[in-house]
Amino acid sequence: MENYDVIVIGAGNGGLAAAATLAEKGKNVILFEKHNIPGGCGTSFRRGRFEFEVALHQLSHMGTPDKPGPLREQFRRYGIEQEIDWIQIEELYRVNFPDGTGISIPVGREKCVAFLQKEFPAHSANIARYFDTVYAFAEQAAAFAEKSAQSTGEPGAMKKFIMKKGFPKMYPVLAQYGLKSSQEVLDEFFPNCPKLQLALSVYWCFMGMSPDRFPWSILAKCTYIYMEDKPYYLRGTSMMMNQAIMEAVKRMGGVVQLNCGVKKILVENGTAVGVIDEHGNEYRAKKIISNISPIATYGALLDPQDVPEAAREYLKPYTVGISALTCFIGLDCTPEEIGFTTSFTLNYESLDANKDFQCAYDLLPETDPLVATCYTVDDPEVSPAGTSVITAGTLKYGAAWEKLSPEQYYEMKYEAGRRIVARLEKMYPGFTSHIEEMEVATPLTHMRYLGHPGGAIYGYEQDLRQSVFFFPTESKLPGLEFASGWVNACGFGPNYTYADKVATQVAQEV
Amino acid sequence: MAKTIKETLLGTLVHGEEILQEIDVLRTVSPDPIQPVDPAAAGLKGLHPKEVHLVVTAIHDTGKNAKVFRLSGKDGYLPPFEAGQYLNVFTEIDGVRTSRPYSISSSPRQRAYYEITVARTQNGFVSDYFLDKVKVGDEFTASRPAGVFRHQPVFHSKKMLMLGGGSGITPFMSMIREVLDAGLERDMVLLYGCRNAEAALFHDQLTGLAANFANFRYYLVVSDEDAVWDGPRGFITAELIQKLCPDYADRTAYICGPEIMNEFCVKQLQSLGLAPKHIRREMFGAAKDITKEPGWPSELTGDEMFTVTINGKQQIRAKANEPLLTALERAGVRVNVCCRSGECSLCRVQLAGGKVFLSKGMMLRKADEKYGYIHSCKSYPISDISIVL
Repeated sequence: MENYDVIVIGAGNGGLAAAATLAEKGKNVILFEKHNIPGGCGTSFRRGRFEFEVALHQLSHMGTPDKPGPLREQFRRYGIEQEIDWIQIEELYRVNFPDGTGISIPVGREKCVAFLQKEFPAHSANIARYFDTVYAFAEQAAAFAEKSAQSTGEPGAMKKFIMKKGFPKMYPVLAQYGLKSSQEVLDEFFPNCPKLQLALSVYWCFMGMSPDRFPWSILAKCTYIYMEDKPYYLRGTSMMMNQAIMEAVKRMGGVVQLNCGVKKILVENGTAVGVIDEHGNEYRAKKIISNISPIATYGALLDPQDVPEAAREYLKPYTVGISALTCFIGLDCTPEEIGFTTSFTLNYESLDANKDFQCAYDLLPETDPLVATCYTVDDPEVSPAGTSVITAGTLKYGAAWEKLSPEQYYEMKYEAGRRIVARLEKMYPGFTSHIEEMEVATPLTHMRYLGHPGGAIYGYEQDLRQSVFFFPTESKLPGLEFASGWVNACGFGPNYTYADKVATQVAQEV
Repeated sequence: MAKTIKETLLGTLVHGEEILQEIDVLRTVSPDPIQPVDPAAAGLKGLHPKEVHLVVTAIHDTGKNAKVFRLSGKDGYLPPFEAGQYLNVFTEIDGVRTSRPYSISSSPRQRAYYEITVARTQNGFVSDYFLDKVKVGDEFTASRPAGVFRHQPVFHSKKMLMLGGGSGITPFMSMIREVLDAGLERDMVLLYGCRNAEAALFHDQLTGLAANFANFRYYLVVSDEDAVWDGPRGFITAELIQKLCPDYADRTAYICGPEIMNEFCVKQLQSLGLAPKHIRREMFGAAKDITKEPGWPSELTGDEMFTVTINGKQQIRAKANEPLLTALERAGVRVNVCCRSGECSLCRVQLAGGKVFLSKGMMLRKADEKYGYIHSCKSYPISDISIVL
């Protein structure tokens, strides 16, 4: 039996950051990963001459070297900022409309506002007001978060009453918009202008939730963060970043066990006290941090009698989120040859994103909004000269795929790939003839590699009642904490920074 | 119960009260979210089980120093696969746990069994075991079917040019059987290189299929100069491909065979102007004689023994001309493994010190190169080394 201060289960973004922060703070930490490589979603794979990015589109929270964002600061603490070649992305994204027109959004508030006002002159005043609101919201949300962090415990009835009266006055934008959907807010600012709405709502696809259910607070925060901190990519795919963090864990004295999953969490007197790995070895620790889903943590790693009743009740309102259907494509031509100019594009078949999003429940791509990213635009060295790497796909719930019989699977998988390629062919004539490598990943593929129920790629559904103010962050088992995207905003930047926060807290307790 | 401060404040937000009420209702009416299973593993049981448990149900001796093993699922079930994929079959021989990847040669359209074909190789530790020891009723564990050497219908041509060599015929058997059994709309030309007709596996069967199906043409290409053979001779050259398959430029070409044949055929296809996207290759296992590979340090004969330090604790001995993976397996060190051909990365280890020779065909990620990770199946120690598992 081995003893540690902290055991971390799962070397995805959250687990890696948690282990690195604990090691950095001098804690004796061990990180278990059942796969042969670290990274979880944040990894890569090879086919032929190509290395494919699996998940990262644009890294948030980085900021510039002179004006570092929280993630850059975190990577500095790990000593890995300089190990990686960061690439600042010049355009936020491009939205392509069904009529063949499209809009590419520049980075930076002033540039972006000026550009949109030129494109949509009739809405000029509202565009300015919208961005004022986004910024005011971000600032009030940050101020309130800071204030909340200082307060401890539940205030008395009188104080509660005063806070209740004062809150909407102190944080008016937060109170008005904090629990509205993106669609509701965009309708308020830009009635009857679907193109402008679509140009501003793009980040819904980063969380896999249609604009009519996607919290505007996340949209506002994404808009603010990417405008201010600038989006980044890096040389060598997200695998490079995650391998760098893993090496940092080891360098700072932590232990990393690849090819070694955890089979069981040991509970004594209602407290998690250790784990047993898949080879039967026992490890004890003062705290356990799970970077896998709460569903699998409680369900698959605990003996049924050890599952706290409170956990069952606590998790009841949460529904397993969306997965994806993704084509990883290597082309034997440059992006220019087929007319791909902005790295991140969102492509619509109609101007009604909410209606099109409903296709996510179907098995095959129909009129789903199509996300297509050409990594070569950001990093010409991502693949050999004269080639390019594109990933293209749609969000899909796993349910329809889980219902397939094993016999139907491969046929449906390739049919799905065929439809996505047909969409790309329509936009970029000649596309198909340049395909040199191609893999199709379905919700079942994501399920297999991530081990997530439903093949979910963003954890629970990130809608108004499950995210932001309602993330299921709490553990109901003493000795156990959660650090993954299942319990907080999903995505690389949010995962790393949230796990850092959890680990910092745990470090004070062990 | 009195509201918490969080609920109180959220209640002041527009829509706050209605969302809080919705959550309250869901806490009451929703089903129990925690079930005592691994939800992903349960969902993938039929399609992608972690491993398959097999039992040998029949053995056919081809009389050509190769046997066909029919393997059924121990519990009666076998997962689907794509024609061209392989199974990595685990064995324990003389106390050494090892494995070998074998292409499935049966059609994926039936899954009562998988068939693999094992040909005897020189000093073949595992092939000798299969050919001399394995009997009906023996049980094996294997990885689920894996590999990307297959017809990818989204961008491959419906016209296939198959170039096979020796026991590299096996994935093509699966592909051919599938196309002909299911009547798929595909056209296949197979050039099969062998030393002589006697050594050609499935020769009679392929000849029969070609006679009966218009969409399948088969040419055995014999290389032994003194062999009795009235068909095409020599190697599978560009010239021969042009002659036997004049519409090669419309086809996706597939190559599976020994390393030398594989490399040779790629060059022939390239000289005919085929772009990389039209050339699909099955990876090959460890080199027969690694010391002959370009770049091998001339001062080493391959018989040198070196010390491998594992995780700074255990030490084992390893021979220069044997893959590091083999040395680890012989010493009983647990290593994850699947393709044994440099491709899948499961046997990845970190080189912490010393030097290894990296054989051709190792598909490393950029992060592997930066942080010193290697695939042990195609890495050869050429000094004392230190690795981290």
